[in-house]
Amino acid sequence: MHWKSRLFAAALAGIGLAAMAGTASAAGPTCKDGAIKVGAVSTVTGPADFSEVPKATQAAFDAVNAAGGINGCKIDYTIADDKADPAVAAQAARDLIDNKEAVALVGSASLLDCAVNSATYSRKKILSVQGLGVDAACFSSPNVAPVNVGPYTLSTAMAYYATNELKSKKLCAFFIIIGGTQEAYKKSIENWEKISGQKVHLIDLTLPFQGDLTPYVIKARDAGCDAVLTNQVEPQVVQLIKTVDAQKITGINWLFLAPGYTEQVAKALADTKQPIYVGTEWEPYTEKDSAANAQWIADMQKANRPLTAFSQGGYLAAQMFLKVVASIDGEVTRESVSKALHDMQPLTNPLAGSPYVFGKAKTHSPMQATKVMKLENGAWKVETPDWVVLPQAK
Amino acid sequence: MRGGADPDRYFGPKPARFPDWEKMNPLLTSAVAGLTAGGTYALLGVCAVFTYRLVAVVNFTGAAIGTAGTFVLIALFEAGFPIWPSVLAGIAAGTLTGVAIGYIMTRWFGEASASTKAAVTVALLVGLIAIGLRLTGGQHPHNMPELFPGSAFRLAGVEVTIASVLTIGLAVLFTILSDLFLNRTKIGLNLRALADRPMAAELLGVRVQMLSLLVWGMTGAFTTFALMIIAPQRSPNFMTLSLLVVPALAAALVGVFRSFWWTLAGGIALGLVEGLASSIDSISQYRSAIPFLVVLAVLLWSQREARWDEAR
Amino acid sequence: MKRASLRASLVIIVVALIAGGVAYAGLLPSYWVFLATSVLITGVALQSLGLVAGRTGMIALCQMSFAGVGAWTVGYLNIAEAPGGLPVWILIGGLAAVPFGVAIGLPALRLRGINLAIVTLSFATAFDTILATMTYPGQTDFLQVPRPELFDSDEGYFVFVLLFYGTIAVALEIINRTRLGASWLAVRHSERAAAAHGVSIATAKLSAFAISAFVAGVSGGLLAGYLGTLVAENFSMMQSLSLYAVSVMAGAHFAEGAIIGGLLVVMFPELLRRLDWPQDIGNVFFAIGATQALASGETMSETFRRQVRKLLPARKPKPVGASTQDLPAAVERPVGAALTIDGLTVRYGSVVALNNVSLTVAAGTVAGLIGPNGAGKSTFIDAVAGFLSSYQGSVRLGERPLEGMSAHRRARAGVRRTWQTNRIAPELTVGGYLALAARGLSASETRALLDWLDCPHPDMLVSSVDAGTRRLLDVAGVVAARPAVVLLDEPAAGQSHEETLRLGQRIAEIPKLFGSAVLLVEHDMDLVRAVCSDVTVLDFGQVIASGPPAKVLGERAVKKAYLGIEEESVAA
Repeated sequence: MHWKSRLFAAALAGIGLAAMAGTASAAGPTCKDGAIKVGAVSTVTGPADFSEVPKATQAAFDAVNAAGGINGCKIDYTIADDKADPAVAAQAARDLIDNKEAVALVGSASLLDCAVNSATYSRKKILSVQGLGVDAACFSSPNVAPVNVGPYTLSTAMAYYATNELKSKKLCAFFIIIGGTQEAYKKSIENWEKISGQKVHLIDLTLPFQGDLTPYVIKARDAGCDAVLTNQVEPQVVQLIKTVDAQKITGINWLFLAPGYTEQVAKALADTKQPIYVGTEWEPYTEKDSAANAQWIADMQKANRPLTAFSQGGYLAAQMFLKVVASIDGEVTRESVSKALHDMQPLTNPLAGSPYVFGKAKTHSPMQATKVMKLENGAWKVETPDWVVLPQAK
Repeated sequence: MRGGADPDRYFGPKPARFPDWEKMNPLLTSAVAGLTAGGTYALLGVCAVFTYRLVAVVNFTGAAIGTAGTFVLIALFEAGFPIWPSVLAGIAAGTLTGVAIGYIMTRWFGEASASTKAAVTVALLVGLIAIGLRLTGGQHPHNMPELFPGSAFRLAGVEVTIASVLTIGLAVLFTILSDLFLNRTKIGLNLRALADRPMAAELLGVRVQMLSLLVWGMTGAFTTFALMIIAPQRSPNFMTLSLLVVPALAAALVGVFRSFWWTLAGGIALGLVEGLASSIDSISQYRSAIPFLVVLAVLLWSQREARWDEAR
Repeated sequence: MKRASLRASLVIIVVALIAGGVAYAGLLPSYWVFLATSVLITGVALQSLGLVAGRTGMIALCQMSFAGVGAWTVGYLNIAEAPGGLPVWILIGGLAAVPFGVAIGLPALRLRGINLAIVTLSFATAFDTILATMTYPGQTDFLQVPRPELFDSDEGYFVFVLLFYGTIAVALEIINRTRLGASWLAVRHSERAAAAHGVSIATAKLSAFAISAFVAGVSGGLLAGYLGTLVAENFSMMQSLSLYAVSVMAGAHFAEGAIIGGLLVVMFPELLRRLDWPQDIGNVFFAIGATQALASGETMSETFRRQVRKLLPARKPKPVGASTQDLPAAVERPVGAALTIDGLTVRYGSVVALNNVSLTVAAGTVAGLIGPNGAGKSTFIDAVAGFLSSYQGSVRLGERPLEGMSAHRRARAGVRRTWQTNRIAPELTVGGYLALAARGLSASETRALLDWLDCPHPDMLVSSVDAGTRRLLDVAGVVAARPAVVLLDEPAAGQSHEETLRLGQRIAEIPKLFGSAVLLVEHDMDLVRAVCSDVTVLDFGQVIASGPPAKVLGERAVKKAYLGIEEESVAA
């Protein structure tokens, strides 16, 4: 316990000093009943489990609370499961907003929270520091700003990496389209075309969520693709590579997004000789010695939470939120938190390659940098020690 | 350029192992690519017909039963047990799941109408998927051991895997066995009597419940083994594997829930058509609609004439 | 009957008024109003499922797909800024779902439950993939479906949804009590019996599907206004499947069943959240509940109704004092042959069930058709009434040949039949059954007819009528329609001697009272002798004798073939 206390006392002291420096009369955040209520809508049960994200947020908040809270205010954090069911998600959000009276949503990670609830959030004037933005609406709503790069920006970044570093000439893109992501993926490829000046060799938006992938890998081979970018999620990454191996295809670079970056994938694909690359959302979590990860690893180990990419997201969301709340003068309410998020200056954290900012824009996609990992003999290896930052297309 | 593409391969002379006719037959290529799926549909479809003819249940949980067994295999394998004992344990688990569902069906719905029984299996499917997802997690890929790795031969530029040959072979084998079993053996004839009139069969001294459970167990074991073979090439997720029942039932409808051979043909054709569809960009997105269209076409064709149900 | 539907509608309206008032007056926290709105929207979807699954007995596993059509239509209308606002869009959304419902219903015309289940499930799968590729209109521009100004708040929208729910519930309540509603139940119970009453199976099934799709589409539209924007998962196949499980469990074809189901769907997640239990338990619970309901054959709302009925004092139907004068008037028929069968031959594979059978039933008479078991009597009736896919020979009603006419058309043309086994849908009331059998029967005519055959009060449920009386009800049904020809298939089976005597009198009166000629198939020789003016004897599918009963029953061949064991009683 005293470890935590010391650490956060130090952190808080820093924040306090910064706040002091800002305004002379700064009193710091205050709260009624000694608690700041915060919630998260996450997919915990059902077809996917993203609970690692809000649980890491919880761990970060617990640590702060154990150290006395922010200016004496403890954070009362509620994680609501949405079962990837829109009706349950809507209900959960309303419960957090109406009954729990949350001042903000932090560390949410869900298959459909943004798409279902962003309208509610704007109606109820509450903002969400999404721990892991999954669906397209997370990056196209005024009230949501994720701390992750997200599949759309990441697609552009990986394509950019393929042309810049792998010297790909015939980049092919295969996307699974679910729930309104079509425009977003098309746009990410368009962005890449603008940046790189190349044309995509083949784009297929019909990858099945379930079913045999043989026809698709044959299609990629016959089209002569030298690099294939896909947004397959974890189990399908393994399925795709196994199908590629079964078809004895060689000579194609396989580029995946962050969902492919897990130890289970590495283990399941230990035998393959295919060149496999993934783009990360944050500092590669498998790099246990990285200085950027040190603070996160220390905090997670104290809280007994596993070290996964998901937990980086939840942790990062919590850190951003804590800093923003600490900057508030006076009562912490939904209004004051929203105002602070709207007016905040970009905040950096070693876990991310870009500074995080909420701001007043109509859509938010603050994170624009990734690191690329390559699979070698059942383990992930950093390909780009420096962040791959997307140049502005415009 | 570590691990990158070799530009010569694409910009140099075309590799010799691509005969020209392969390039000229993209449709054939994609059709062959659909073979694996076709074998799976056929095998599951034949199992569905088998179940229907012997215990008069249109079983929506068919694939889910096999999935349960497959996941037992995965769990044991991931826990470090040797592969073949794990396979046996998985098949045993699939058999048990089948028997458990069979027990529900015979215990409480022995005398119910065909549609009530179908409704029960639909309800059970909802529950099974929820339980399955809970126990296995849809999130992470499982390390599914390949029982029969490698490819058997190359056809139209596609490696036809041993697994898919085996699936189709199994489907054919099961079709032949079912046909013989039902039409040639005494126990098969007994079972058919049972499916028609459980009460009457009981009076004839047929041990209805035992025989039904036997059928449930058998189909459970068979689907489990089939799914084990194909699971590595699918994403082994409890829900997606369980929902293979949709094309399987479509295949069974091609055989009008009677003919094993038509079901076999229907399943393989379904896979081929799906493969074909994925090569045609304009329709590829709607590929999953194919079982529906097939079902619709088959039904409209096979039911051209008004027929009155015997029972009603 | 009208009164009953009025009463039920009133109950719905009063309950709705109270609920709306409570919500609008702000007596509930807005969160609970929000949940209650969700209950009602789910209730609307369940009502649509109750209609097609509960009432018509078809397994429909794509109800949420229909809702998706409605929801997406509303979204497009919103983008297009179509006039009329949400209420109009919702109705258009419902209408847009109708063609889909009819298209799915088409293969159901000749299909029984299981095939339909497969069709609907594969439709839901197909629709899933299509919807998944279609972003909800307006979502990318963060444009939401606006609620009408008057109903913009949570409370307001609750009232808005309540209006829809109430209207749909009342409308369904009224339709259920019409002949169309009765035909749904009849089709569910026995398609053949329904067709024998002139019900077109196609119309019954398609109308059920069309109305159900409309209601489902409306529920999708309501959801669009409720959430502002939607995702494909709202309408996924798994949603359809669990909705089906819930509807089976709750009994969604009752107005309160749909609400119970809605409560389960909405409150279960709420309860689990409060208990901090995982959300996926819900589906397991619904699966177990549906299985239990199917096993016990009683849904939650039926249990509820049974309990309520126990509590309420039993209402005794008032005895009816109707006289034969109130019977529907006889239809004038031309003299001559009412029904002429010429050279009727029916083969099942190599078996000849009927061989060159000819028979004439004269107008205004009762003719008999007798023969040992398996002689082909029922096959004969099936052929005449149009229940066989093919036969040789001709069947003429008066002068009109019936070949090529389906069973329900023959019934409408004037050939009505009864069945050896009772096929009346037990969920119908006695009066409802007569209304199904005969269009446009007045209340007094109904009562007089029931009285004439000693049948129970029209408000009684058929399920509470004993088997013997149900056979009389069968006869009441066919004569109520006053067709040209009535085919009675062993009406006296299972009746006591006295009852048979009385039934005989009634059958003899049919030609005079209703203008219908009767062909009576019977084993009871006393009855045949008493009422028939003409008898035909079948044996092994052949006519072995015909003529006046006294003469025919005395013939040696008849005695040998059929009456051998009863030789003495015949001689007596």
